[in-house]
Amino acid sequence: MIKMLKNFRPRITSEEQKHFDQVFKTLKSRYNEDNPDPWGLDVDTCRKMIDFFYPMYRNYFKVRIFGAENVENKPYMVTANHTGQIAFDGILLTLAFSLDIDPPRILRGMVERFLSSIPFAGEFLAKGGSVLGDRQNCLWLLEREESILVFPEGVRGINKNTDNFYNLQSFGKGFFRLALKTGTDVLPVAVVGAEEAYPLVYNAKKLAGVMGLPSFPVTPTWPLMGPFGAIPLPTQIDIYIGKPYKMPSDLSPDAPDSKINEHVMLIENQIKEMIEKGLPSRRGYSFNILSSGED
Amino acid sequence: MLETSEIKNILIIGITGGLAQITAKIISKKMPGVNIIGIDVRDVGNIPPIPGLTCQKVKYSRGNFEKIFRSHDLDVVLHLGRITHANAASQNVHKRLDLSVVGTNTILDLCMKSSIKKIVILSTFHVYGAYPDNPVFIKEDAPLRASIKYPDLRDVVEMDQIATNWVWKNQNQIKGVVLRPCNIIGAQIKNTISQYLAYKYAPYPIDFNPIFQFIHEYDMAHVIYRSITEVPTGTYNVAPNEYISLKNALKKLETPGIPIPVSVVGSIAGFLKSFRRGIPEYLIDYIKFSCLIDNSELKKHLGEDFCKFKIGDALKLINLR
Repeated sequence: MIKMLKNFRPRITSEEQKHFDQVFKTLKSRYNEDNPDPWGLDVDTCRKMIDFFYPMYRNYFKVRIFGAENVENKPYMVTANHTGQIAFDGILLTLAFSLDIDPPRILRGMVERFLSSIPFAGEFLAKGGSVLGDRQNCLWLLEREESILVFPEGVRGINKNTDNFYNLQSFGKGFFRLALKTGTDVLPVAVVGAEEAYPLVYNAKKLAGVMGLPSFPVTPTWPLMGPFGAIPLPTQIDIYIGKPYKMPSDLSPDAPDSKINEHVMLIENQIKEMIEKGLPSRRGYSFNILSSGED
Repeated sequence: MLETSEIKNILIIGITGGLAQITAKIISKKMPGVNIIGIDVRDVGNIPPIPGLTCQKVKYSRGNFEKIFRSHDLDVVLHLGRITHANAASQNVHKRLDLSVVGTNTILDLCMKSSIKKIVILSTFHVYGAYPDNPVFIKEDAPLRASIKYPDLRDVVEMDQIATNWVWKNQNQIKGVVLRPCNIIGAQIKNTISQYLAYKYAPYPIDFNPIFQFIHEYDMAHVIYRSITEVPTGTYNVAPNEYISLKNALKKLETPGIPIPVSVVGSIAGFLKSFRRGIPEYLIDYIKFSCLIDNSELKKHLGEDFCKFKIGDALKLINLR
């Protein structure tokens, strides 16, 4: 069965392999035995993860990137909208920034505290570049010139009913204060097309409360069809990268919320505009997962 | 800042320890003419001769300490006499509390009464505790959470808190430095992590891979020595700029180890403890979760590269034990 699935899985072409080799050569020069990552990132594990998820990125979701030219060779706080019920947008953004944006970088995602205490999961996530979501960790990462991936909507961003798709939830302020403290530019990013992975969703909030979960999405296939019902539909996804938002020099990271809000709103609006611009050119579903292009 | 010329007599508490002897050698070499008085509750007969060093075996009682403080015109006290958890014989928490906490309190009290110019107290990074939500890196002002989960570590935390509060409270009268080093590795060091790494078949978790900091015993001894004259009052983490994962450290040591899921590792530690092999239970969390400390405060005084030895050099010392 596994062999059959492996054969069915789209192959990575020799050109893509060559590109991967080049990307990981660059990444190895940054993270190696002489300069290991204190959070436990392991480039070899990252490569295995990227090899594994690449067919999903290229063939299943057929990701396209717009605005790659806005990314310079410097650290960013990559700030994106959160979509799609399960957080696969984080994986797609990580692949985009390591494979399709020059210079390649591994975005450091922030994970929930409890995950680092789970056997195997904690080590696996750390090797893949994830870091415990802690203010101090964030500051250290930015000071070490790492790029961080944040979703200021939090879990509210992914747990939306169908009628709320692409409605941005209000942004938290913490990410902006950290960017301000370290003088790191915020890179606004919009992910368009991921909401359609689960086209009809009802969030059973009361049930989630009883189960002690942040949300409990119900779709036509989940939980009816069990784990298979959770497989996202092959919606085609576009990633829009906006112009970096420079940190104001006259604002203190400890400024009152009213002053911080102005800037957070501007970033929120920038992402909103990119979503609105991207929605009319969405490509819909593509069931030809052996092809990497558009249908 | 204290000048070398102002120092005539130095007291080292815990002189039978490997780190204390290396420190004494450095002081003897760098400050010839200074009298070093080494004391310990353990037998001092096996200590190799070091110019300027005289050793005494004393019981850590108030009366004995008073005698030493009265009979020597001490300028500097190096309190390196914390009881390690690695020694199975000292695993009685009451005994450790008595020696480390009450003993430290007595020493500090006597330092205040005498005209001591500087005290350097050796604590440990264990005070922060190994938790899954530890940030990388932990700063000196982080809460000391070690004894929340493991009451066995309360002597370590209490001693640190007593020392830290004391040095700040009395900063106008005496200069005091509390050092919280990461894992000290050395041929003569008998701490918990050295014992653990020295086991040929050390059980290690297959489901976790924490990052470690190791400091070479000579680097640590130099930090203690330099703290006398170069480091102002305060509490400082001591760690090199390098770090390594536990699995890579075992690989470097060419230790075969036994990969075991962490729950089983816990049971094994309990089993070994019952046979008095000296693996304390709290160490399990230190081989599960990273506890990396920030060294930037100390670097402000000792410079960017205050550690001369690489992590590989420190680990090599394990095989020399």
